[in-house]
This record gives sequence, C-alpha cells and structure tokens, in this order.
Amino acid sequence: MVALYRFLLLILLTLPAQAERCVVDDINHTVCLPKPAERIIALSPGATELLFAAGAGSKVIAAVTFSDFPEAAKALPRIGSYNRFDMEAIVAAQPDLIIAWKEGNPREQVAQLRDLGLPVYHGDQRDFQDIASTIKRLGVLAGTEQEANAEANRFLEGIEHFRQKYEDAAPVRAFYQVWVNPLMTANKNHFIGHALTLCGGENIFGELPRLTPRIGVEAVLAADPEVIIAGGMAEDDPGWLDAWRPFSNLTAVQRDNLFFVPPSTLQRPSPRLLDGIELLCRNLETARGRR
Amino acid sequence: MAAVEALRRRSVPLLLLAAASVICIAVSVSTGSVAISVGELWAVISGGGEPLHRTLILELRLPRSLAAFATGGLLAVAGALMQVLLRNPLADPYVLGLSGGAAVAALLCMLAGMPPAIVSIAAFAGALGSAVLVFGLAHGRGSWTTTRLLLTGVVVSSGWGAVITFMLAVGPTEQLPGMLYWLMGDLAYARSPWPALIILALTSLILLPLGRSLNVLARGPMQAAALGVAVRPLEWSIYGSASLLTASAVTTAGSIGFVGLVVPHMLRLVLGNDQRLILPAAALTGGALLVLADTLARTIIAPEQLPAGVITALLGVPTFLYLLYRSR
Repeated sequence: MVALYRFLLLILLTLPAQAERCVVDDINHTVCLPKPAERIIALSPGATELLFAAGAGSKVIAAVTFSDFPEAAKALPRIGSYNRFDMEAIVAAQPDLIIAWKEGNPREQVAQLRDLGLPVYHGDQRDFQDIASTIKRLGVLAGTEQEANAEANRFLEGIEHFRQKYEDAAPVRAFYQVWVNPLMTANKNHFIGHALTLCGGENIFGELPRLTPRIGVEAVLAADPEVIIAGGMAEDDPGWLDAWRPFSNLTAVQRDNLFFVPPSTLQRPSPRLLDGIELLCRNLETARGRR
Repeated sequence: MAAVEALRRRSVPLLLLAAASVICIAVSVSTGSVAISVGELWAVISGGGEPLHRTLILELRLPRSLAAFATGGLLAVAGALMQVLLRNPLADPYVLGLSGGAAVAALLCMLAGMPPAIVSIAAFAGALGSAVLVFGLAHGRGSWTTTRLLLTGVVVSSGWGAVITFMLAVGPTEQLPGMLYWLMGDLAYARSPWPALIILALTSLILLPLGRSLNVLARGPMQAAALGVAVRPLEWSIYGSASLLTASAVTTAGSIGFVGLVVPHMLRLVLGNDQRLILPAAALTGGALLVLADTLARTIIAPEQLPAGVITALLGVPTFLYLLYRSR
C-alpha cells in the first residue's frame, strides 16, 4: 500500500517536470515552455535552418526574408527582415516560441516581444559547438529531442572527421574574399575563419579585429596568399576571381589556385557548414598538390 | 605692363599649388600597406624595380591617385561655378540634385547585380538626367531665376534622398556595405583616371577665356548685362559644364562631399574673388586635397580601408573654420 502511494506521489511529482521544458539560451535567460512549442517564429535565416535541423521545421509558422533553406522554408509566411520585423504580424500569429538572433535583431523590438509575454530564445552561435548545442536545445523546446540530438551528433562527428583528417596537413596561406566592392574578408572568429583553420588553412587576415573587415587590394598583394577563395556572388560573376589574374606576382595566380565556395554554406550557423567545409578543404588540398 | 604684373600675380599661387599637387601625388604613390622607399620608387619610375613594386605603383596607386586628383579637381571647379551661377555661398556641385540622381541610378544597378562598369555609366546618366530634370522644371513657362533654380534643385535632391533611403531599407544585407561606401564616396571604385582627367583639362581650357565674364556675373546679372555680357547663354553654359564636371566626378568615385563646397570658399578667402585665378586654383587644390584624403583613408587603419569622403570632411572642416575665423 505504502509502495503504491509512493508510486503515485512520484508520478504526481514528475508529471509537471516532464511537461515543463526549460533550456538556458545564449544570453543566460532560462526559457521554459509548459508544453512542446507548436507555433515557432524564427527571426533570422540561420534560426530557420537550425529549427529544421532540430526536426522542428513543421512547427515553424513564420520566418524572415532570405530564409531560403531548406526548400520548405521558402514557402513560409514572412514577417519582415531580420533587422526590421512586423511586430503586429508576430503578435497576431500567436507564437508559443520566438527564436531571436542576438547580434542581428534590433534589441528594443526583441525586448518588447518579451515584455508582451512571448517566450523568446536568444541565439548567438560563434563556433561549431554552439551550433550543435543550439540544435539540441531547440529540440528540447520543440519536443523533437531525438531528431535534434541525432543531427547535432552527426554535425559534430562531421567536424571531428575534418579535424582529424587535416590536423597534420601542411598549412596553406589563404585569402577568403567575402565581397568585391568594397573588398571584404572574414577574420578568425567568423565561421569562414573557423572553417579555414579546420582545413589546415592560414587566414592571412585572421587577426584583424573586425568580423568582416574591409581591406585594400594592396594588403592582399603584400600578404601574397597561396590560395584565393571567393564567396559572395562570384558564382554568377566570374569577374570576381578573374580580377586577380593580372596580378601575376601572386602565388595564388601563378598556381591557378583561385576557387569559389558558395557563401550560403559557409556564412550561416547551420549543419550545412559541413558541405562548405568539405569543398573548402578539397580546394586547399588541390593547392597543396600544386606545390 | 599692368597686364604682365596681373599675370604674374596670378601665376605665382598657381605654380605653388601645382607644385603642392605634384608632392601630394608623390606622397600618395609612395605610401601604402607595403613600404616603398624613394629609391625604389625612382627605380619603378625609370622603368625598373621589383615586379611587386611595379604592380603596386603602376597598377594600383598611380591610377588611383590620378583618379582622386581628377575627381577633387572636377568637384572644386563645379562648386566654384555653381557659387557664381547661383550667387549663393551654400551652393555646391550637388545642390541641384546631381549626386542624388547619380546615386539612385548607381544603387539600382548594384541591387540588380550589374558589373561596376555599368554602375559607372548609370551614375553618369543619372547625374545628367537629374540636371536636365531640374533645369526643365526650373525653366518652366515663367521666368528663369536663380532662386527658382536653387529651390527646384533642393527639392529634387530631397526626393532623391528619400528614394535612396528606401533602397537602403529594402536592399539585401550583403549589398549594403557596397551601397553605403558608394554613397560616402570612395576611390576604390575608380577605374581608369583618364576620362575624368581629360574632362578636367578640357573644361579648364574652355573656361579660361570666360573668366572675365564670370567675374562680372558674380556681381549680379543686371550689372553683367549692363556691361555687355550675354547673361542667359553664359548662365546656361555654366550650368551645363558644372553638371558635366559633377557627373564625371560622381562616376569616378561616388558622391564625395565637402570638396566642392569648401575648396572654392577657402581659395576666395586666401586669393580674393577673381574667377580667372579661382577656377584653375580650385582644380589644383581640390585635386590635391582629395589625393591627400584618399591616401589617409587607405593607410590610417591599414589593411582596413575607410571611405575618402569621411577624410575630406575631417581635413577640410577645421581648415575652413580656421580661415573663416581669421578673415573676420
């Protein structure tokens, strides 16, 4: 009899605990939901990708402009862009979870959403570990832990695979061109910088203080990289890479080490980074072969 | 005898300014992320030198310096002309909406992902289009007064400003830095300096014989007409040439502010208000100022780069305020 009471008591105690799901977000706020989120709004293209990665794609009810991956995200209703969103549309959609982007979203607007009583998760992913842990936490909030954990682990294993493969590879001095006019690159804290390091690349502008510094052509010539990798719209406009060819003193030009890596696979915090990293590593490997 | 004396009075400051311009260009060509000594610079100029130094000087620095010189000169001359035409000290090359028209056309092309050459052509067309629009509207059916022209220009400029803000608000994030740098004015966009240099040289030559008429016009159209100057054709040719100068400048380096407004004023404070002296002096001073500003813009926080438009204002504002204060 006592055993039965104890059992019932245990159920009563664990029931709310099981229903209430809490995670700590990237600004150390605890976000608690009484039940798994069913109506999620993602306030950045990256957040949309991470929700899909966490297996919660079907629960996303609205996203911001340029949320173009995966294919299903393109059909989602838009509530503005990441830096200017329609507050009324958000409130009217009655979300039970909002995924904000700490660096990109206007703070006042996000604070206002929180003041309105809406649960807001603030995301700020800076490295590969952050991406995996975000996927897992989103999985907890959406009640899709199983898919989320599997995807997070697949991602970390992928990263680990590259790390082991290129750990001892010969370093390659590389320049990543984010944009052409003005000429911009990425430093070591950007995901592009992390990816370069992972592939055994040495980012010639890694130590600059700004995340995507604007630089001069002269600085590139002075650093004489062995490889030049273009992102941006270089896919549509081969002029981005061809513009370097007249500088025949550049090692990268002499060895024809001018490559393109689609920026969407390297600039957003999402498991798609694995695709970009694979291409980037292969390019650097090609460059090693041309020594 | 008096004529020779007057010529000498004009040629001394001009020679000094020309020398200063050459020094500015030399300094600009020898400074950058890669240190190049005077000896190495000389080696490159005389046809030798290391390949890297040759590339840096002949393909990057020199064209850019010359483009900066031409742009600064164009803007300063255009500003001086506008101030004579409108008889308003606040007139600058952009007061009639030329930079706005150029910016709207250029930004539209950037949004559409056009190559830089098309962006330049669009900027030129936009600037001239805006000039024609303002001229046509101000001309209207009634009389053509400078007040009317100024007012039309200012209102059209505000209109362009609103369109630019709209485009910046809806433009995709990765395009924004490019658009903002273009609006702030930046020599990194400069391609060949020759079109701008040729236009600057040609206009200076054409304007030289007009100097006396411009002097009279600066006193007012009534006096000018009384002294036998054909006011209307003169005003229209000033308008046309100033628009052409500004359009070429905007095409070369985006809308660089300040040079066109302040350089003519500075020269007037120092040299007096003789257009025969002010116009060529403006070409040299504007050019030298922008060469200096651009050199600083690309070296202060190198390898990171600043837009030259920021530096022109930072250099020019204190200089101008000092001259103004001193001249009381």
